[in-house]
Amino acid sequence: MMSMDLIFWIIAFLINLALMASTFYQIVILTDLEADYINIYDSATSINRIVLPEFIVQGVFCASFLLTLHWFMFLITVPVTCYHVMLFLKRQHLFDVTEAFRFLNAEKKFRLIKLGFYLVIFAIITGRLALSVFEFLSDADDATQLF
Amino acid sequence: MGTENPGRPNFPARPAATPFAAAPPQNVMPFSSSGPLVGTEAAGFRPTPPAAPQPTVPFSSSGPLAGSQSSGFRLPPPARYNDPSVPPPASNVPPTGGPFQRFPTPPFPSTVQAPASRVPPVGQPIAQPPAPPVSFRPQSQIPPVPMGAPPQSVNSAPPNMNVPYSVSDSSFPAPMTNFQSSFPGYARMQSNADLQPPPMQSTFPSHRGGYAPTPPTSSTPFLSHQGGYVPPPPVAAPLGLQSRDQMQYPGSGPPGSIQGLIEDFSSLSIGSVPGSIDPGIDPKALPRPLEGDVEPKLFSEMYPMNCNPRFLRLTTSGIPNSQSLASRWHLPLGAVVCPLAEAPDGEEVPVVNFVSTGIIRCRRCRTYVNPYVTFTDAGRKWRCNICSLLNDVPGDYFAHLDATGKRIDLDQRPELTKVRSGMIEIVAQTIRSCLDELPGYPRTQIGFATFDSAIHFYNMKSSLTQPQMMVVSDLDDIFVPLPDDLLVNLSESRSVVETFLDSLPSMFQDNVNVESAFGPALKAAFMVMSQLGGKLLIFQNTLPSLGVGRLKLRGDDLRVYGTDKEHMLRIPEDQFYKQMAAELTKYQIAVNVYAFSDKYTDIASLGTLAKYTGGQVCYYPGFQSAIHGEKLRHELARDLTRETAWESVMRIRCGKGVRFTSYHGNFMLRSTDLMALPAVDCDKAYAMQLTLEETLLTTQTVYFQVALLYTASCGERRIRVHTAAAPVVADLGEMYRQADAGAVVSVLSRLAIEKTLSSKLEDARNSVQLRIVKALKEYRNLYAVQHRLGGRIIFPESLKFLPLYGLALCRSTPLRGGYADAPLDERCSAGHTMMTLPVKKLLKLLYPSLIRLDEYLLKASAQVDDFKSLEKRLPLAAENLDSRGLYLYDDGFRFNIWFGRALSPDVAMNLLGADFAAELSKVTLSERENEMSRKLMRILKKFRESDPSYYHLCHLIGFYKYTGKFSKIHSIPSSAIFVIYRGLNMLVLFLVRTLMERFIQYNYQFEFRHWFPSGCVDG
Repeated sequence: MMSMDLIFWIIAFLINLALMASTFYQIVILTDLEADYINIYDSATSINRIVLPEFIVQGVFCASFLLTLHWFMFLITVPVTCYHVMLFLKRQHLFDVTEAFRFLNAEKKFRLIKLGFYLVIFAIITGRLALSVFEFLSDADDATQLF
Repeated sequence: MGTENPGRPNFPARPAATPFAAAPPQNVMPFSSSGPLVGTEAAGFRPTPPAAPQPTVPFSSSGPLAGSQSSGFRLPPPARYNDPSVPPPASNVPPTGGPFQRFPTPPFPSTVQAPASRVPPVGQPIAQPPAPPVSFRPQSQIPPVPMGAPPQSVNSAPPNMNVPYSVSDSSFPAPMTNFQSSFPGYARMQSNADLQPPPMQSTFPSHRGGYAPTPPTSSTPFLSHQGGYVPPPPVAAPLGLQSRDQMQYPGSGPPGSIQGLIEDFSSLSIGSVPGSIDPGIDPKALPRPLEGDVEPKLFSEMYPMNCNPRFLRLTTSGIPNSQSLASRWHLPLGAVVCPLAEAPDGEEVPVVNFVSTGIIRCRRCRTYVNPYVTFTDAGRKWRCNICSLLNDVPGDYFAHLDATGKRIDLDQRPELTKVRSGMIEIVAQTIRSCLDELPGYPRTQIGFATFDSAIHFYNMKSSLTQPQMMVVSDLDDIFVPLPDDLLVNLSESRSVVETFLDSLPSMFQDNVNVESAFGPALKAAFMVMSQLGGKLLIFQNTLPSLGVGRLKLRGDDLRVYGTDKEHMLRIPEDQFYKQMAAELTKYQIAVNVYAFSDKYTDIASLGTLAKYTGGQVCYYPGFQSAIHGEKLRHELARDLTRETAWESVMRIRCGKGVRFTSYHGNFMLRSTDLMALPAVDCDKAYAMQLTLEETLLTTQTVYFQVALLYTASCGERRIRVHTAAAPVVADLGEMYRQADAGAVVSVLSRLAIEKTLSSKLEDARNSVQLRIVKALKEYRNLYAVQHRLGGRIIFPESLKFLPLYGLALCRSTPLRGGYADAPLDERCSAGHTMMTLPVKKLLKLLYPSLIRLDEYLLKASAQVDDFKSLEKRLPLAAENLDSRGLYLYDDGFRFNIWFGRALSPDVAMNLLGADFAAELSKVTLSERENEMSRKLMRILKKFRESDPSYYHLCHLIGFYKYTGKFSKIHSIPSSAIFVIYRGLNMLVLFLVRTLMERFIQYNYQFEFRHWFPSGCVDG
């Protein structure tokens, strides 16, 4: 039982890392675009390629907390999910190549906030992971002591 | 004044040569008022001293004005007056120098006691001659001595290109004329509105000044003397020469600073009794732009080496020196660029061949060499005017400098001078004639594709005698058969192409397939063209219905209007169009969309293709060849043959501390400041807004350089460079003075149209009104208190048409009304068109010209070319439409010919023939067998030739038919004039209402009565 929890937190940790990596990557691309190191078509292609996968992973991430009844974590992650769903429904989730520079700053700000958000979740998950590792180890100790 | 003010006895004591000695009695009066005024300045911002109660009536009112204006001034005048370092000009300094140094102190005590109640010292400095012209008249007959000397000193000064004010002399005449044109307007205003005397009087003297070029900092302090010492010179030229002097030697008493007055007092009393419909305003008093667009001369005369305003216009040529100042300028701060604007013959932009040296540009900021760079170090180095970096001059480009620091080869260097005509004319003309004969042009490649539910390609290889048609019906996976033979060289395959075009109409004669595989066809065309780029003309008759990019009928749902989703109707429905537009731009393909359907075609989506590829949208709703044929023929021919720049990118650079941040028009931004334009031509203009990056600008001048890198049709890669300079100013009043209403309106209209893409029409209109109102309010605040403006709106001379244009903008097709006021497609296409229009055409569209024709037609003696009498534009107001008249109303896109109710039947019969009794909106005007009809046709032809960008289609309107149509005006296509006609009545009311409402909204702290002078004049 304990090991299930540990495995869950490890998976959540990895997913969160992936989300952070994706967001960070997008920020880097936008910064490059701003500094004219990359052309607009390539940057739009590389961002748009990972937007949907990121949304899906984030949705799964959020849903998994709900399914495993981690209410606190679910409530923390659900605003981002809602925002993603809203963007998707409004068909504004993709980086608009024709108006890229008009919305560049907004897009960057949105991703920076998201990155900060993921960082907070990262801190929580790390804590929970450490806790479950500790519990797992102490359980193992208990188990050995039982013998 | 000597008699009245103990501090001033020196004045009359000036050398006998001065005018004062010659005519002492007259002079005393001016002095009496101006003397104290000088004192007030020096005293540091006190209103009129008690000494001001002058013997003459005018002074009592104007004196205080001057005092208060100068009082608000930031530069302590004494410093300037006392400045001994000012180099005196030969003859007139000694006398003036003495008295001046004394100025500051003696009058001081008296001014302190000044009755502050008169005019609180709040105003900004404006040049203000104290006396009305009447009192000056006697003086002006005496040639003032100072006028003689200053010119010499001016001329001897080395002309320095980079110092903004050095060229101010030359700019004088413009303000003069400016003023005079506006002058009658004020007079009228005074006569009919409840104007209070002081401001009106102050407008009069202003004709002497108009010196806008003189920087306010130096000029304002002197304004008050000038009135007293030197009569207004009757001639403009000497005045101009003096202006420089007076900046340096206030004592010589020139009118230098009267500058701003003019505009400062274009005031307009607008008010009505609350609740009543009566506007309380005489429409005749409203300023009307009957001269059309007047380019601001000030700007180009201050910097004579600037590019012509047809290429680049700034919304104000006074660049604010700080962010706080910029934030008080509520209008857009930016530029409108039309890089390929058509030049009149003989003024072609010279082509410079830099093959031997390479193009000369700054190492750091990449600015191109231009007339404002300075050469130093004996010609071996040049200093960039934008970033001040010292660059080396390449060996081949080296030339020695003459004594004044100019290159000796200046005359042969068009990039350093601003040549108006030249050696290159021949080259440009040759290129043009090549373009005009597009069919014979050797490099032109051409291809055709048609589509309904399948796509048809045509193989037109030169070896064939007949074109071969290939049909591709798999719309999901488009492939291009024979990719090499679809786009063929025109000169080689000429006969095949001709055969194809001959047979094209008959090929689809009996086609009943109304499907349209637009998206797949666009993709196929993209594949064919992506190797080369170029221009893609799309002729679309129905809504795209098949394959990728198919569109739904939308826009007929009334419930959407007025909600937050309204704007969705004006943006592309399918992402396909944006993605396709981006791809097309990437491969240098420009798209021009021609749409013809009378049903919904979703111009919002189709137009996106044009918007991001630098193209244009031409919409002919309910196309009928008999009516619109000529228009399409003309506009298509122009599209194909006008000078076009291909594969272009455009960038605008500017000096340190300033940056262009947003761009508006048909293009795609490829990086933060690089506009990608697959095709540019003379009918396209681009607007941009700038912001200040630094809180305080330290430079005197900001330079702008537009660089358009393009491939000319002859295959040469060229860079077209337009450079302009603008002074940095520290005073809001100066910004207004140097404002360019046309450019402001152009930027505002683009912003408003963009706003309709993200919010409701009403919000877009409100944003325009709000900006104008805020700007006028800010302006009003500059002068409100000292002139007791009560319920008057004042606006600067430069922006006197701004409210009118702003309201016209709100009534233009893209912005007006709601659902029923314009069909969605017409709204979108008009929006796309207005986003590209150069300033002049936009202004004409917003405020069309109205010309009375019947008198000319009836005049038997009128010669063929005697169009003089037709150049008089009438104000667009109801009372100008005489029911006996025949009027031409021309908005640059079509002619509306208005038949008055009581127009003589002869005229109607002659012009319309047998159709004379028919429903006018269904009649087409054609030439009849009589002189009058021929004459009318000649007139129309003449007008069309003068504005060739678009073909003016004729619409006939008979006013006597109006009964019963009044209520559903919008459904009659030819009722434009009627709408406008009604609109102008509305306009006045609207102006009153909206502006008043806004003012009230923003000035709720004011009491209501302040805004309604007719109810309470002295509020």
